[in-house]
Amino acid sequence: MKFQRDVFLEVIFDHLKKDKKIFVLSADFGAISLDAIREKFDDNFIHCGISEQNMFDVATGLALEEKKVFVYAMSPFISLRAIEQIKCGPSIMNLPMTIISVGIGLGYADAGPTHYATEDFACIRALVGTNIYTPSDNFLTRNIAEITLRNNKLNYVRLDRHFTKDIDYKSSKTILSDGFRIIGEFSSSKIAIISHGKIIHNCIKSIQKHPSRGFIIDLFKSKPISEELYKLLKDIKKILVVDEQVPDGNLSAAIFEYFCKFGKTKFITSLSLPERHIFENGGRDLLFKLNGLDEDSILKKFEEIN
Amino acid sequence: MDSFHNLKSLCKRYRSELFEKFLLLGQGHPGSVFSIIEIIVTLFYKNHIKFDKEKQKFIDKIIISKGHATSVLYPVLRDFGVIKESDWQNWGTSKSNLRIFGNISITGIDATTGSLGHGLGIGCGMAYLYKKQNLNKKVFVIISEGELYEGSTWEALLFASHHKLRNLYIIIDENSLIILGKTSDCLKLDSISKKIEDFGFTIKECDGHNIDQVDIALNLKSDTSKVIVAKTIKGKGFSIMENRPEWHYWNSITKEQIEICRKDIS
Repeated sequence: MKFQRDVFLEVIFDHLKKDKKIFVLSADFGAISLDAIREKFDDNFIHCGISEQNMFDVATGLALEEKKVFVYAMSPFISLRAIEQIKCGPSIMNLPMTIISVGIGLGYADAGPTHYATEDFACIRALVGTNIYTPSDNFLTRNIAEITLRNNKLNYVRLDRHFTKDIDYKSSKTILSDGFRIIGEFSSSKIAIISHGKIIHNCIKSIQKHPSRGFIIDLFKSKPISEELYKLLKDIKKILVVDEQVPDGNLSAAIFEYFCKFGKTKFITSLSLPERHIFENGGRDLLFKLNGLDEDSILKKFEEIN
Repeated sequence: MDSFHNLKSLCKRYRSELFEKFLLLGQGHPGSVFSIIEIIVTLFYKNHIKFDKEKQKFIDKIIISKGHATSVLYPVLRDFGVIKESDWQNWGTSKSNLRIFGNISITGIDATTGSLGHGLGIGCGMAYLYKKQNLNKKVFVIISEGELYEGSTWEALLFASHHKLRNLYIIIDENSLIILGKTSDCLKLDSISKKIEDFGFTIKECDGHNIDQVDIALNLKSDTSKVIVAKTIKGKGFSIMENRPEWHYWNSITKEQIEICRKDIS
C-alpha cells in the first residue's frame, strides 16, 4: 500500500524522464518518491526552505517561463500561509501550476489546529481559476496526477496524509472526465451522499447498511463541477453532503451554489466538522466520532433525512 | 541616445509626460514613479536591459515589484516601439490596456505586480532558471524600501543568496518614505546595506538620481546577486511633491500648483 503523495509523485517522476519542463518545488516537506525525484532529477527540483510565500513567487517566475510547476507542502501551510501569493501569481496571471497539498482535514491529528487544514477548500475555492481535486484512493490519485500534467490549469490537489484503501471500482462507475464516480447503485429515488477524500470511506461503510436507499457520489473534482453531475442528479430529492471541513464554505456550499446555478434548489443536508478548533487527542478516527463524521454519525444523519 | 546630456533631458521629458498623464487621469503614484526615473533610463538606455530589434522585445527582464510605479515603464516601452503610440495616447480609456498597475497583458511587462513583496521572488524564479540553463539573460527587480517590511522579501533574499543568482540585480528605491511618513519614524530600516550585507551579495549604494552612479553600480561584476541601494527622493523633480508622503498618491491640485510643476521641469 502506498501513500497518495507517493503515488502522485511517482507519476511526476515517470514524466520527468522525458519532460524536462517539469519542476517540483518543496517547502521542506518530503516523501519517499520525492527523494527519488531529488536524486534522479536534481536539476528539476528546488528546495525552497520553509518559505511557502517565496516558493509560490519562485514558482510563478518559472511558470512565466512556461515551465510545468508542481508546488508541494503540507496542506495548512501551502494553502493559507501563501494564499495571496497564489492569488497574485498563478491566479491573476492565469498561469498553469499544480499545488500538491498533503494532509487535508484532520490528517495531522493529534498535532492540533495549527496543522489541520479544515478550511482550505473554502479558501482556495474562492480564488479565480482554481481547479480542485480531492482523491479518495490511489486509483484516483494516479489519474488526477496525469490530468494535472496536461490540463494547463491552476490545480489544487488535496491529498490525504494517511493510506486510503482503493475503492472497488468494479462496483463503481467512474467518469474521469466528469470528475466524479458513482459508488453503489444509482437511482433517482434514493438519497445521494456527496463527498470527497478519505471521508468517503466512512460514507461507504454507512451506506452499506442501506444500499437500497442511497448511493455515493465521490466528487473528486469539486471545482469546477461538471454539468454531467446536474444531469445525473436533477431528479434527486435529497442530498447529504459530508465534508471534513468547517461548516462555512465547505463542499455543501459548493453543491448548493452548483444547483442554484441551474435554478434548482435541493434538499441538502450538510455534515461537517463543527465551528470550533479541535484540541482533543486520540487520533483521527476518534476525532471523527467526537465531531460527528464517523460511520455511525453519517448513518444516523442518513436515516434522519430518509 | 546615451550621452549624459541626452539622458538627463530624457528624464525630464519622461517626468513631464508622466505628470501630464497623471493630471489628465486624476490618478497615479507620482512620488514613487518620479523617484526611479533615472534608474529606469539608465537601465534601458545604458544597455543594461538588452533589446532585440528584430523581435522588438527585450532580452533581459525587469520587474517593478513596487507595482504602483509600473507606469514609469510606459513611455520607455512606447519609445522602443514595444507598445503602440496609440496605447499611450489612449491610456485611461477603454481603447488602451495601460493602467496604473501594470500587468502581463501589456507587452513588455514581465510580471503582474501591485501587492508588495512578490516581485523579488518571481525574479528569483526567472534568474534561477536562466542560470540553470546557462542563458545570458539578466533579471532586474526594483523594490521599494517599504517592501523590506514584507517577510517574503527576506525569504527571496535568502533564496537568491543560496543559489548565487549572479544574473539577478536587486535595486532598492530608498526614498525614506512610506504612506504614513518616514520609515525611520514608522519602523526603522537603517542601515539597509548592513542588514543585507551578511547575505553575501555585492552591494553598492548610490545616488539614484545620478545616472553615472547608477550605471557604475549596475556594471558591478561578481558571482553573487547585485544589490543596488539607490538613495532617492520621493516625487523627485517637482517641488510640491519632493519628500512629501502625501504625494504617494495623486492629489487634487490647484492651477497654481500645476504651473509650478510645469515650471519645475521646463
